[in-house]
Order: sequence, then structure tokens, then C-alpha cells
Amino acid sequence: MIPEFKITSTVNSRTLILVTSGYINNVGGQKILDAYVSQQDVIDTVVLNLADSHIVNSIGISFVIEMIEKLGKKSGKLIFTNLDPTIDKTFTIMGLYHFAKKAATVEEALALSN
Amino acid sequence: MENESFSQSIDKLKFQVKSFQEGFSLLVQSGDLQELGRNFHHLLRGNFLVTDFCLFHKNGEAWRRVYGSTFEETDVTTWLKPSDQFVFESVSGQKTRLAITLPLIDQTHFGLLIGQKLDRSDFGETDTIALHIFLQQLDNAYQFFISQKKEKQFSFDLNHRVVQLNSLIDTGIELSKLNNNSTLFETSVERVVSITNASFGVLQIMEKGNLLREYSIPEGVPGEFILKSDNLIQSEIEFQSKTYLFTLADKESRAGAVPFEATDELLLGAFARQVLTALENEAHHEESIEIEALKRELSVAADIQKKIIPTKLPDIAGYELAGLNIPSKEVGGDYYDCFPLGDGRFALIMADVAGKGVPAALLVSTLNASLSAYMSMNMPLKDLAGKLNSIIYKASPADKFITCLIAVLEPETGKLAFVNAGHNPGFVLRTDGSMEKIDAGGIPLGMLNMGLPFDSAEIVIQPGEKLLLYTDGIPEAMNEVEEEYTDEKFEQFFQTHSHPSPEKFISDLLEDVKLYTGSAPQSDDITVLYLGRN
Repeated sequence: MIPEFKITSTVNSRTLILVTSGYINNVGGQKILDAYVSQQDVIDTVVLNLADSHIVNSIGISFVIEMIEKLGKKSGKLIFTNLDPTIDKTFTIMGLYHFAKKAATVEEALALSN
Repeated sequence: MENESFSQSIDKLKFQVKSFQEGFSLLVQSGDLQELGRNFHHLLRGNFLVTDFCLFHKNGEAWRRVYGSTFEETDVTTWLKPSDQFVFESVSGQKTRLAITLPLIDQTHFGLLIGQKLDRSDFGETDTIALHIFLQQLDNAYQFFISQKKEKQFSFDLNHRVVQLNSLIDTGIELSKLNNNSTLFETSVERVVSITNASFGVLQIMEKGNLLREYSIPEGVPGEFILKSDNLIQSEIEFQSKTYLFTLADKESRAGAVPFEATDELLLGAFARQVLTALENEAHHEESIEIEALKRELSVAADIQKKIIPTKLPDIAGYELAGLNIPSKEVGGDYYDCFPLGDGRFALIMADVAGKGVPAALLVSTLNASLSAYMSMNMPLKDLAGKLNSIIYKASPADKFITCLIAVLEPETGKLAFVNAGHNPGFVLRTDGSMEKIDAGGIPLGMLNMGLPFDSAEIVIQPGEKLLLYTDGIPEAMNEVEEEYTDEKFEQFFQTHSHPSPEKFISDLLEDVKLYTGSAPQSDDITVLYLGRN
């Protein structure tokens, strides 16, 4: 009955590519963090593709910040891609781009990560 | 020997002083409690050659392992005391040598279990003093950690408030854009769900208790399901007999579901009002488009009418003729004309279409064309009326018809044949001051097409006599208190007023009507055709 938040993850060299679909809230945020934690020892860059996520709340953002902090400790980086303009503005106001980057597409993000 | 021992003690103290300085800067770099535990372990290892160490944290009843795996749960229950005081205890456990309970600034506690030193020596007095200093540093680092956490949370909350305000403003701007009905509702629900941290939201549009449509976030979740939540807030607006009910359910936090706050209710109310404003703006916009379309339609109708209403009446030898049409709006439904029939006779027409605007103008145009076509055929007027009735009936919608008075004047004899299709009667003012009505005829043209017969009649206008044809805009002209000018007043004016010329008479008549109506707006078209035989 409730549409499930979906996440797919792929590891490309030392980059984890996460593709989400659905509301990034408590559930979605936790799944993103879990996906990162499960691969954190073998990657140092995360590309988060939000093409199919058009809504995010502050709880979801807090999980993303936690992932950024964990990445920061190992000098890793996070790159957002395919951002909805509203989410982009929210991330800007929340200050996420002080610690993470953004790119238009996954391909651009992968070029940035190298 | 004593000097050597003294020198070693001095070196050790120097090393520890340096460790104290480096220790604090190491501890405050910790990003979380686990890291704090790890860093503290480094200090213990470096200063006391201790490898066995575990850090626990207690917030409430139970101790939670934060760092280290050396000690078992039984060690925790055996050695860590449920005390609110600082406890520094030397113990003789299998592994445990020191058990410490450290009260913290936020009413929580650290529990530290420390094993024996690598050289198996006891913790001496100097060690104990140094450990106390390190514990003080651990306490300070924890305070710094809490303070940083609070600062981060404060900054996060502040930014979240900015996001809320920004979203409210942005959404207001987006919703105020016209022609966005397709996204208006989805956008408003999506935004308010997002900024209030609700798990679900739905907008239900209802009319007389029946659900017409609903928009939910996440998409596809039935409103019925959302409404079952015991943690929800609602806001409702009414517009054009429809109810718009916004519902938010299950506010989230990192710790799980929490009750909605007063701010959430304010935000939900603000979003609902923004939707109401957008709906009102949309309605006003549509209304103004309709008005513009109507204006254009009236302009087209005015052009049609201008071409039909005569700008100049023909000269009829031995007669004076004048006519006037003043529409009440941009385009009226009145029509008059006078034109020669080619055999020395003249047709005089006075008509009034039910309604105004383009439909009325088109009907007048049809009548005008039909008259032009059939009048020259010299058919009897009652047959002509029957023919016109059939044409107008077919050309007009059900609620449209024309009242019409058609007369044919034979100027030399003064003979006037006429048929009155449901129009106001014409008047002939005789030389003896009496008035005669001309009203023989039938039903208005186009009202029914059942073959009902029309009657026609003939009178003679003698020298010095006048004929007046008009529409109901004169007798039914209303004053400020909506009282009509009346047929009686009109007939009396025609009968008693001087008739210096047709133009002057019409001008005086209009002045009298205007005097009566005062500041009241003209309620209907005014049309007059005056024929006087010299």
C-alpha cells in the first residue's frame, strides 16, 4: 500500500553510486546511510543520484549529513547528481554544498571524482 | 643513583605534561563517542602502557558499550557502580584493575574499565594523579563534544527554519502563477509534507460530502489510509462550494514518530490559504478572460449592427421622416429601417430582438436580409410575416425571437398597410388630436412555427397626421426607483407635445424620458421612427 523507498548501489572502482527513488525521509535517509556503511571500507567517493527523488525532509537530510561526516573522516567526498530544483535549493540553504559537490549527471560526477 | 631516579621522574613528568597538552587537542578532535573512546585509549596506552580498556555510556538505566571489546558484560555489572558520583576504584578483577564512573555535564555517565599495565605493576600515586587529569580532560572533551553537537543542531534547526520560510515564499510565488491547475495541488501537498517532516500528506477535494479527487504524498497512498493515523493535523478551506481538506500524518524525527508542533499547524494553515488565494486568482483570471471575450463579441456585434441600422433615411415627397436608435449596451437588439420598394412605395420597419450581443445582431441581420429579399416581391404582408416567421424560427435558438412591425406606405394616397408581429403598437395622431393604434398582426417572429396566421390591416395617413413607431425602451425606461416611464406617459407626450419637426419631436421626447429616468442607467435600447405627412 505504501510506495517503498528504493535504492540501488553500484561500486565503480572506489566510487559508490547510489540511485534513489522516493521520499528521502527517516526511512529513505536510513537506507542511504546503510548502503554507504555497507561499502565504506572499499570506497572513498559516493555519487548520490536523486533523479527519482523529488521530495526530502530534514530527517532525511540529517542522514545524508551523517554520511558526509563519515566520508569527511577518511577524506572522502559526496557528489549529488540529477537534483530537483527544490531539493537543490534546500541543500544550499542547509549548507550541504560546503561539504559535498553536485553535478548534473552521474557521468559528470564520475569525472569529478577522478 | 638517586640523581638518576630523580632525573627519570622529571623526564616522565615532562612527558606527561606534554601528553596532557596533546591529549586534550586529540580528544576534542573526536567526531563521536566511539572516536572519543579510541583517542582516550591512545592516551592510556601511551602514558600507562595499558592495552585493556573499554568505555561505556549510561543515559538512564543501562550501560551502553561505546568503545572497546576487552571486557565482558559481567565485568560491567560487577565493577561499574550505578552511582551519580565520581567513582575511582582500584579493583582486583581477572582483567580489571580500575573501574571509574564519571558523571557528565548532561546528567549522563561514562563508565571506564581499565586493565593492568603491560609491566603488571600497580597504578601508583603519580599514575593516579595523571589519570585524574586525563579524566578531567575526557570530561572537558565530552563537554566540547556536546557543545559542538548542540551548535550543529542549532545551526541545522536554524537552516531548517530558513528552508521552511523559503519554501513558503517560493510555493506562494509558484502557486500564484496562472494556469498551473495541473500542479497546484500536488505542489502544495509535496512542499508542506517536506517542510513539516510529515511521513504522509493528502489533499482531499470534496463537494457536499462526496470525495471528488485526492492528491497524496507519497504518491499512491490512499487518503483513507493516511486518515487512520492517530498523529495528524488538518486544515480546511472552502471555495466555490467545494471543501479542500489538507491532512498531514506521522511527524518524523531521528528517534521515531513525534507529535506535530504548533509551527507545523501554522505552516499547514499558511499553505492552505496560499492554495485558496491561487484558486481565487485563477477564478478572477478566467472571469476577466470571459469579460474580454464578451467585449470582443460585442465589438463584432456592434460592427454588424452599424451596417444594418440606416445612417440616412430616404426622402419621401410630401412627408417628413426621422429615426433614432440608442443602444443601452454596446450592441442592442433593436432595429429600424425605411427603404424604397422600387414601385414608389416605401417599407417602414421597427423590430426588437429578444436578447443582445452577437446572437441578437445576427438575428437582426437575418431579418434585414430576408426583408430585402421578400419585400420587393410585393407579397401580402400577412404572408410575408408568415414567411419571415418561418425563416427566423429556423435561424434562432429557442429563447430568441423578434417582435416586428412592418408597414408599407403608398406616399401619394397616404395608404399604410401594416402587420404587427407581437411588437408595441404604432400610433397615428389624427388631425383632430385623436390617436389610433396599429396593432393587427400575430405572434413575434420566430417564437412558434405552427402555421399560426398573421393578420394585417390598412389605414390612411392624411395630411398633417403623424405616425410613430418605437420599441419598448421608451415606455419601459426606468428611474432610480425602478418605476417605468409607462405607455400612458408616452402616448400622452405624443398626443399633446408640439411637433415642429420629426427631429425636434424625437429630441424632445428623449429629453422628457431622460428627465424622468434621472441618473438611472439606460435600461434598454431606445428606437423611434417618426413619419409626418405634410
